[in-house]
Amino acid sequence: MMLPKYNILTQEQVQIIHDESIKILEEIGLEFDYEPALEIFKAQGLKVEGHRVHFTREFIEGKVKLAPSEFTLHARNPEHNLVCGGENIIYMPGYGAPFVQLADGTRRKSTMQDYDNIVKLAGASKNMHMTGGTVAEPQGIPDEIRHMKMIYSSIKNSDKCFMGSAEGRERAEDSIEMAALLFGGKEVIKEKPVLISLINSLTPLKYDERMLGALMAYAKAGQAVIVASLVMAGSTGPAALVGTLALQNAEVLAGIALAQSINPGTPVVYGSTSAISDMRSGSLSNGNPEAALFISASAQIARFYGVPSRSGGGLTDSKIVDAQAGYESMMTLMATSVTGVNFVLHTAGILQNYMAISYEKFMMDDEMAGMLLRYMKGFNFDEDGLAFEAIAKVGPGGHYLSQKHTRKNHKKEFRTPQLSDRSAFDAWSKEKLDTNQRANIQWHEVLANYVPPALDESIDKKLLDFMAK
Amino acid sequence: MSELFLELKQAIIDGDEDIAEELSQKVIDESINPVDAVQLGLIKGIEVVGELWKAGEVFLPDVMMSAEAMKVGLGLLEPEIAKLGMSQGSAKGKLVLGTVEGDIHDIGKNITGAMFTAAGYKVFDIGTDIKAEDFVLKAQEVGADIIGASALLTTTMSAQKEIVDYLKEHNLRDQFKVFIGGGPTSQAYADEIGADGWAESADEAVALADRMLAK
Repeated sequence: MMLPKYNILTQEQVQIIHDESIKILEEIGLEFDYEPALEIFKAQGLKVEGHRVHFTREFIEGKVKLAPSEFTLHARNPEHNLVCGGENIIYMPGYGAPFVQLADGTRRKSTMQDYDNIVKLAGASKNMHMTGGTVAEPQGIPDEIRHMKMIYSSIKNSDKCFMGSAEGRERAEDSIEMAALLFGGKEVIKEKPVLISLINSLTPLKYDERMLGALMAYAKAGQAVIVASLVMAGSTGPAALVGTLALQNAEVLAGIALAQSINPGTPVVYGSTSAISDMRSGSLSNGNPEAALFISASAQIARFYGVPSRSGGGLTDSKIVDAQAGYESMMTLMATSVTGVNFVLHTAGILQNYMAISYEKFMMDDEMAGMLLRYMKGFNFDEDGLAFEAIAKVGPGGHYLSQKHTRKNHKKEFRTPQLSDRSAFDAWSKEKLDTNQRANIQWHEVLANYVPPALDESIDKKLLDFMAK
Repeated sequence: MSELFLELKQAIIDGDEDIAEELSQKVIDESINPVDAVQLGLIKGIEVVGELWKAGEVFLPDVMMSAEAMKVGLGLLEPEIAKLGMSQGSAKGKLVLGTVEGDIHDIGKNITGAMFTAAGYKVFDIGTDIKAEDFVLKAQEVGADIIGASALLTTTMSAQKEIVDYLKEHNLRDQFKVFIGGGPTSQAYADEIGADGWAESADEAVALADRMLAK
């Protein structure tokens, strides 16, 4: 049993946003900088002038209906298969950060080793459902092979689901090839999708060649895509929250329509990471209530369309793992979770508006994810949960600590914290460790104890041979 | 006449493109000294905005709108100055600004351009997805002091190095300062590729340019 999802908009408000997006799509349209995409729209009778495509209400509403409301992502270990959509939530690490933030407050470029490590931390975690995508940018690895090295690491270091590369058609095709080698062929994975990739629009109202190439490759191969828009309200979008939602929505709907045009029934996820721009620096800012509002609204809007949603995470503007990182990340991760977002990139590890990944933050966010998973499980209303017999047995006065019921039930009803410190003051004072320090100790322990699940040798060789070409 | 210059100055402070255009046209139509209009009108206005920005009293939209109004005014008055064979009175410096080859992100570049304009520089924004040689060609054409290259992706950062390398290969390295910027860049990276400057924010980029160009 899961807690019901919280809606922050009325039905009328959702309809208004939808109608505003249709207006944008019809009257303004979007630009697609990719001839094959334009051809697909032209072939279906849409008005195309140069790169500008004008959509119609019938076209968009019809296409969205083709997208499945739920789909299964298959993992190397079927125990880690994931259902995306409906009541389900999927947590995974941060995505795309070029820097690593260290516990001592300094920062350095991320490396392949960091990628491997974060995959392992996610693999070991009870709360991360999959290992995600670009958990750290392996900056030392040459551009041409970087995506393959990343996918290989995801496969080798964990048997949970992972993501494909969205850096253009060729890299998407490489990702599909490697996934096919792992799972036994392209026909196998077309029937049972194994990859999901992050396709981003270019706000406002554009899609570029790189993203479109990847989207089309994945759609053709039957693999899932997140069609995501990141509107920076005030700089790439209007300084108005509802207008920003309408703009984001128009972009996402257009991308979903393209995917369904290529392959009706392609699993898609409605993606949003919209937030505000700081009006002094122009920087993205997402550790705030506006971001929480965008996240919450996006979850509900996706439900309106009957597709799974992607948004949110443990987001913060803080550069380090301090109180700001804690309260901002909890606000955004909680909004994400209780409003029913299905697919959560950036659950764990991300700092300063996606600029850096931190191992300590990963452990802290992992704790938060665990807390929220427990929160969303809600209450147990069965006999044990009502506990009448125990209450009757103890009666007035007395205590429950030596009751069988207590011994039997406390582990089920109460979550054990992984990182939070609950000790009394004197006990804590012996070492006086704060969150950052405890997290630092913990990730070292996790990595030291983690054993990657063995990968079939022949598959391993096939993957290595593929990369060598 | 000084009334008109005050109005021009105010149009810049208000970030009003239309009025800046109207008044600049009036300067031309009434054969008023265009150099004075620029120095006593437009530039005085942008200086006020610069001070308000430093004092934290205005925001990006204010600065960017003032920079746009400035551009519109200069767009009309500079050709007039050239036509009359007059001397312009120099801007603090000239900056060629663009996003590197393979990269189409531009919001950071746009903000940086506006801040440089507000600080009294002449900015030539050549857009996104620009090849190294095109940065250099423009810099030569306008006699730029600085080439500014922006990149948002770790995969396009290498194009910033290409600009430095291109200058070296063509014996032009000491003719222009190269500034780089953008999310995944850093001082360490700038040092690695031999760039002259790096800044994390538009403000810092302007301050760095001020220091570097001051003799």
